[in-house]
Amino acid sequence: ARMKRARVHKQPCTVKELEVSVSELGLGYVSDETVLFRYCSGTCDAAVRNYDFSLQSIRGKKKIKKEKVRARPCCRPLSYDDDISFLDSKNHYHTIKEVSAKDCGCV
Amino acid sequence: MHLMLYFPCSHLFLALTTLPLFGSTYLSWSSQTDCVHANEQCTADPSCSSRYRTLRQCLGGRDRDVLLSSQECKTAQEVVRDSALHLCRCRRGMKKELQCLQVYWGIRAGLADADEFYEASPYEPAALRLSDIFRLTSISSGAEGVSSKQNACLDAAKFCNVNDICKKLRSAYISTCTSGGADRICTRRKCHKALRTFIERVPLELSYPLLFCPCRDKPCAERRRQTAVPDCSFMRPEIPNCLEIWSGCRQDSVCRSRLADFVTSCQSSPQSASGCVQDNYPACLTAYAWLIGFDVALNFLNSDPHSLAVGPWCTCNGSGDEEAMCERYLKTFTENTCLRNAIYAYGNGTNIVPTQNVPKSPRTTISTRTERRLLPDNQSDSNTQYEGNSDICSSLQDMKNANLTDLTICVSEAQLNTDFTPELRTKDDQSGVSHLRASILYIILVIIYSAAVFP
Repeated sequence: ARMKRARVHKQPCTVKELEVSVSELGLGYVSDETVLFRYCSGTCDAAVRNYDFSLQSIRGKKKIKKEKVRARPCCRPLSYDDDISFLDSKNHYHTIKEVSAKDCGCV
Repeated sequence: MHLMLYFPCSHLFLALTTLPLFGSTYLSWSSQTDCVHANEQCTADPSCSSRYRTLRQCLGGRDRDVLLSSQECKTAQEVVRDSALHLCRCRRGMKKELQCLQVYWGIRAGLADADEFYEASPYEPAALRLSDIFRLTSISSGAEGVSSKQNACLDAAKFCNVNDICKKLRSAYISTCTSGGADRICTRRKCHKALRTFIERVPLELSYPLLFCPCRDKPCAERRRQTAVPDCSFMRPEIPNCLEIWSGCRQDSVCRSRLADFVTSCQSSPQSASGCVQDNYPACLTAYAWLIGFDVALNFLNSDPHSLAVGPWCTCNGSGDEEAMCERYLKTFTENTCLRNAIYAYGNGTNIVPTQNVPKSPRTTISTRTERRLLPDNQSDSNTQYEGNSDICSSLQDMKNANLTDLTICVSEAQLNTDFTPELRTKDDQSGVSHLRASILYIILVIIYSAAVFP
């Protein structure tokens, strides 16, 4: 079981999908309509570059102190899915953009 | 999936109940080609092509009626009547659909229907079976667990949302049709275009549930009413006169065709148990769906879950002395038993069309003995329906009159292809036709042989 869990953790950055209600998106819309929410998930170990090592090292030597820096690549959407339209509980239509990921990558 | 829409053997359903109005146009369907193809065939044939050109000149001229009564125009009409052009049809959403419909109506102009409201459909009838369009109903009530049983329209929206094409095209029309926001100023033309794209491209297992979802409560019925964004696509600040929007529609080949298809496919009959002249619910639902995105489209008129009140956005007020006629036509939409039953049956997921209602044609008179011998073994002899292959019938009849006593044969194509399963038919289409040819050839050989042996 542990082996399996470890393997899951090592899964590289990819698109995953989940069926959620529009209300669950937390954007303030109230609707029972179900939409497909695609998100990016996974590790970016393979995408670590010399940049990341160098940044870590330099930060470690306290050369960078007050700034917020990220010394690891991050699994994020490279582009977003088509717009999502739905009818809300008051029978008004809404269209929302860039809610769901289309492609993911380590950036 | 879409292929089945165009399943060419659908005339078998229609052949049963062809009404006098549309009469011969449904006969010998499989010999019909699409009008683009028929046009090419005619162009390739010098005599047909010159007559066709003449006919177009006759129809296009300023003094049409005078021209049409001339001998040359009459001859041209007759020649074209005998060509593939006369019986050609089009398929919904086909490549060059517009061109096809223009050819169709171009010829119709010369061979006009008696009543311009009840025009015959230029489309091949949709030959889906209810089981095909019910697929989603069974999905949503089956394994997929998550469905909200109370609101079928909500389920329909979900199934659309989780399908990329459906989600994209639904979103496209919704955002176009609501672009005015709270002001309700929308570009109706663009909204219509987006709606037509949705109907044309989305598989009907996904679009029909949105249009015809069965409802038990008001929120569901309101959602169903809202499907085509009626605020923009359907309603207008002023209610136009119906006769005006119908005649406006007839100016446009595609709209005219969709209207004619609705009138043909949803024609009601009190005698038929289904309420439809053609006993073909899917054809009527398809005709309804393909009207969406035109001014003549229908929509649910209220959010009463039980009323199933649908109608166009128009009134017969201001029709002048044509008001009675307008009202009569309007009932084709608002009091359409066929459409109502079709929507109801769709929601129920049951086919209430009884099969025993099928009238047998007097002309299919094959004695069982002969039939067994003549028909291929795998063809059942039930469900025999007449599908006028009048040329073969009459020529065989002639031969019979010329002293052939025993073999009374008039085999219709339907009898040779009694398997109505669309899937099979589409796959076996070619072999079915050659089978037919082989069978006819065989029959003729038998006749000739018996004529020689028993003179």
